[in-house]
Amino acid sequence: MIEAKNLSIDLGEFKLVSVNLSIETGEIFVVLGPSGAGKTVLLETIAGFYSPDEGNIILGGELANDLPPERRNIGFMFQDYALFPHLTVEENILFGTRYKRIEGAEEKFKEIVDTLNIGNILHRLPRTLSGGEQQRVSLARALIVEPQLLLFDEPLSALDERVRESLRDELRTVLKRMNQTSLYVTHDQTEALVIADRIAVMHDGQIVQTGKPDEIFNAPVNEFVANFVGVETVLEGKVISHHDGIAVIDVGGVEVAVAADIPMGGTVLLGVRPESVVLGTVDKVRESSARNNFEAKVTKLTPLGAVVKVGLDCGFPLVALLTKQSIEELGLTEGRKVLASFKATAVHAIAK
Amino acid sequence: MKFKRSSLMYYFFSLIGGLLILFILLPLLHSILSQSPPILLKEATDRGVQEAIFNSVFLAAVTAMVAALLGVPLAYILARRNFFGKSLVESVVDIPLAVPHTVAGIALLFVFGRYGVVGGPVEKYLGLRFVATRLGVVAAMLFVSLPFMVNSAREGFESVDVRLEQVARTLGATPFEVFRRISFPLAMRGILTGWVLTWARAISEFGAVIILAYHPMTAPIKVWDTFTQLDLRHSSAVAVLLLSVCLVGFVSFRLLAYGGMRKGNGK
Repeated sequence: MIEAKNLSIDLGEFKLVSVNLSIETGEIFVVLGPSGAGKTVLLETIAGFYSPDEGNIILGGELANDLPPERRNIGFMFQDYALFPHLTVEENILFGTRYKRIEGAEEKFKEIVDTLNIGNILHRLPRTLSGGEQQRVSLARALIVEPQLLLFDEPLSALDERVRESLRDELRTVLKRMNQTSLYVTHDQTEALVIADRIAVMHDGQIVQTGKPDEIFNAPVNEFVANFVGVETVLEGKVISHHDGIAVIDVGGVEVAVAADIPMGGTVLLGVRPESVVLGTVDKVRESSARNNFEAKVTKLTPLGAVVKVGLDCGFPLVALLTKQSIEELGLTEGRKVLASFKATAVHAIAK
Repeated sequence: MKFKRSSLMYYFFSLIGGLLILFILLPLLHSILSQSPPILLKEATDRGVQEAIFNSVFLAAVTAMVAALLGVPLAYILARRNFFGKSLVESVVDIPLAVPHTVAGIALLFVFGRYGVVGGPVEKYLGLRFVATRLGVVAAMLFVSLPFMVNSAREGFESVDVRLEQVARTLGATPFEVFRRISFPLAMRGILTGWVLTWARAISEFGAVIILAYHPMTAPIKVWDTFTQLDLRHSSAVAVLLLSVCLVGFVSFRLLAYGGMRKGNGK
């Protein structure tokens, strides 16, 4: 287990204010926040590049404040990968094995190279590699020394959209397979949602909320978190049936249809964008192609300029975004019963 | 219109640049071409001239080695650390560039002379003397050329991304291992540039060397000596011989160093 207790540091431009974190072994912990929030400073302090003004860093039960970086056994993945330009891919990956005794280093090397599919570029120099390849090499170099914690500083932000999406899923799969305890910082909500076991939202050097992804997205503790993560509904559920490309997910007793290939029995996170939710009155049932129709109670109306955010309870929390005109035409008030609908294709499913 | 004006500017700038290049090459070419072959041959086969040229080339190389050994650690600290009085240290490193070289020679003589604060004890306990020895030549050359080594090496280290060093630390390398396997190889180009500049500057030194060590004669002093003993034609023959040796050395070193460096240098 990795812990940060009341960690504070002031570097002028960036700071940490009494940060508390604890990361379980094998857990992927994401710190989410806007740029300038102090995310990178947090990683650099935990890695040992800075010593904290106050507070403690505890690695596996031992105080690590005074350990130099090379004795902390913490890996670091930089945004631009920081590959050694004068060494080949193979030399880069094996760099750390000279300093840390790794049991079965050769097999480990082969295993990692196979997993990350970089066997064909081992003799190339970093500057001849694509961004995605550099990312894999950098990950291999960090994984081979078996760090007790691996730090990620926005490792996907330098890649283009398409590569980023496929690497995002792959990264989680690899980290989970190797049971690699990780601390990952990003400013991208979707990335956090896909990768995280737990999320901490950071603002001005402080952690403002820590929780599971659905808790952060559905129950933001303050306005900053709400605005930053957006109003997307995030639900956790289990796959109970799977048929013709439509998976049915049990979300706290309510069944939600999702157009996605997800294996049975697994846990999934579902994301529903508030603009995809359509509301109608209960008494006038209309035929529609939407596969998900729920009777719901309006719990809260929040005006956001030209649109109104509608909080709903349909056995699970759901958020819809409506124009003022629609609210008036439907005569929506808090406590009213409505029919909430969204299409199976409007649900974004993330297998965990 | 805009295009024409900018291209006119490039012609104008090229003209000015060309004049500058001519200003460097014309005197050198003129001295080479105006030689009388018999005098050139006589000086080239003269034992004293040969020795003087050897002294210059060899002792300057030794100086550049010493400068690298002493200058690289300081350059690394200046590139990587901030400390109280850093700008003062930086100014001190640059002082030799501003001090007239005869002044440097006199100042060195007071310290490294037979009764100086360093020269005295060194002679008494180590049996080494600076005045009129090769050691003295190296000391004088070192004083005036050290800034080139420190500044070039420093630029080399500054061009190495700090994050490469940080990531190497997280992979288990101690600060010295990081220096040895990451910073030093990646700064090699800057260090080699410093080495060449230091060597070139040391070869050309006259003022400081003549005061601390007139003998054993280096080539610039031999040029001066020939001028006072014989005449301008003889001394210019010695000058041209030194010039040729220097140019050949300088050009071949550049080719060797940068030709081989192109591959591994990333940043």
